[in-house]
Amino acid sequence: MDKFKSLFYQDSLLEKLHQFQNTYGYIPEAEIENLSEKYQLSRANVYGVISFYSMFYTEPTGKYIIRICDIISCHLNESDSVLKAVKSYLDLKSHQTTEDKKFTLEVVECLGHCGEGPVMMVNNKIFTKINKNKALEILNDCM
Amino acid sequence: MVQEKLYLKGDKLLDISNYEFKSIKNALQIGREKTIQKIKDSDLKGRGGAGFPTGIKWEMAADVEGKEKFVVCNADEGEPGTFKDRYLLEERPLKVLEGIMLAAYAVGADKAYIYIRGEYSRAIEVFSEIIKAAREKNILNDNLFNSGFKLELKLVRGAGAYVCGDETSLINSIEGKRGRSRIKPPYPIEKGLFKQPTVVNNVESLCCTAEVMNPDSEDFSELGTEGSRGTKLLCLSGDLNRPGLYEVEFGQITLIEIIYDLGGGIKGSEDLRFVIPGGISTAVIKADDLDFPYSYQAFEKRGSSLGSGAVIAVSKKHDLLDLMLNVSRFYMDETCGTCFPCREGNRQINKILKAFKEEDGKIDTELISDIGNTIRLAARCGLGQSSLNFITSVIENYGKELKFGGKIYA
Repeated sequence: MDKFKSLFYQDSLLEKLHQFQNTYGYIPEAEIENLSEKYQLSRANVYGVISFYSMFYTEPTGKYIIRICDIISCHLNESDSVLKAVKSYLDLKSHQTTEDKKFTLEVVECLGHCGEGPVMMVNNKIFTKINKNKALEILNDCM
Repeated sequence: MVQEKLYLKGDKLLDISNYEFKSIKNALQIGREKTIQKIKDSDLKGRGGAGFPTGIKWEMAADVEGKEKFVVCNADEGEPGTFKDRYLLEERPLKVLEGIMLAAYAVGADKAYIYIRGEYSRAIEVFSEIIKAAREKNILNDNLFNSGFKLELKLVRGAGAYVCGDETSLINSIEGKRGRSRIKPPYPIEKGLFKQPTVVNNVESLCCTAEVMNPDSEDFSELGTEGSRGTKLLCLSGDLNRPGLYEVEFGQITLIEIIYDLGGGIKGSEDLRFVIPGGISTAVIKADDLDFPYSYQAFEKRGSSLGSGAVIAVSKKHDLLDLMLNVSRFYMDETCGTCFPCREGNRQINKILKAFKEEDGKIDTELISDIGNTIRLAARCGLGQSSLNFITSVIENYGKELKFGGKIYA
């Protein structure tokens, strides 16, 4: 492969990482090793990419990744009270996973539904105009 | 009651079989040079936040030689308060596609990328379908309408990094790297993606180019006022009765009308304190200074910017220190860490504000202002440079009122 082509090839790295993340719930060591060979990058380099992006994990995540926005537009609409309720209900802080590997909680920055806040995302699904009770109901539906 | 001007907003455009591609057909007919001239004449400014003239960008890119040339559609909409690009991607993706085709045709690129933020799973789904349909219909990867013009388009999804909204960070991200900004020059137009000439345009900007080139909406570029042409999508949020997406003509509506007519005024019993006019990287506008027509120039005159079009109304109900901490935490988390004034500065600001809250001690507003200036001067990307606009503007406007201890801001 000439150098130019091999550079082009790198535009698929992020997508590969997404696929592993979706399949395993995190990106396992063995796949990092494979990627480093395939893309001719050092493992440290691949780790560096993974650690830069908040949607990639190197440790197993819960079956449900709960993302709750607490930035200004949602915050003005009391997302902090939703967050408080969810944190105490799951007994988690942000970036933590429950012991039964069911839930991972992430306090995130803007999910792009600012006119309908507070906003919560469960895996790929968006829930808008939530409040404390609605958030707990959504979590219960996942149980 | 103020009327919306509907060009960018409208019925869903999802069915490629019923979409006529009038703008790109028009461009193919009149040729590259005239297309660029039309965009230049329209005085269209980038809608992502920086406001660079789109036509000039295209003209410069068309003149550059490279082994390859790329067009990148920046759909990494991450500025808090902004959701217009998500709307366009989910509901009017054919306009976005047409805009990408126009840009590629005009600058002479045969490869394009669309980089959609990872959190926009619905938009990613919709746009992937559009690309698939366009390939099946030979709109992509083929001799487009027998013109000899061929375009490959690839979707890359981001993975959670605000800073990738900066064009050089976004380019690094497409290349499978950490999304850190690059030193400019060279600008992407000379050396961008894979070191080749690259044009990066925002989703809404590209949709605007499709309006400019559409024979059915010839009046689009005549709308607005000098220096602010066309329409703008506004994302209204915060303490409003009717938040949501609105389209307005530049110069024909005041910020008062935006807040009280379109937005339905402030909810609850409290009054408006200020408006954040273009996302949290823009300086606040006080409630008693809203009576001016919405335009690039009017905000510039007030030391602010219309940014991404995220208009956030903030009432007197909220504790300003709490809001400053909220915004400060955002930048502390989202700085890419390359330029240390941005990385360390935002951390220090958070520390200062936290200490003030927890210890109820003194706050050194002069130090905050110094750090703000340092970041503004020393950060190399626009996102870093503008990271303290909100906080410093709140202190400038309300520092005294809030009885901050220590040195009072002049």
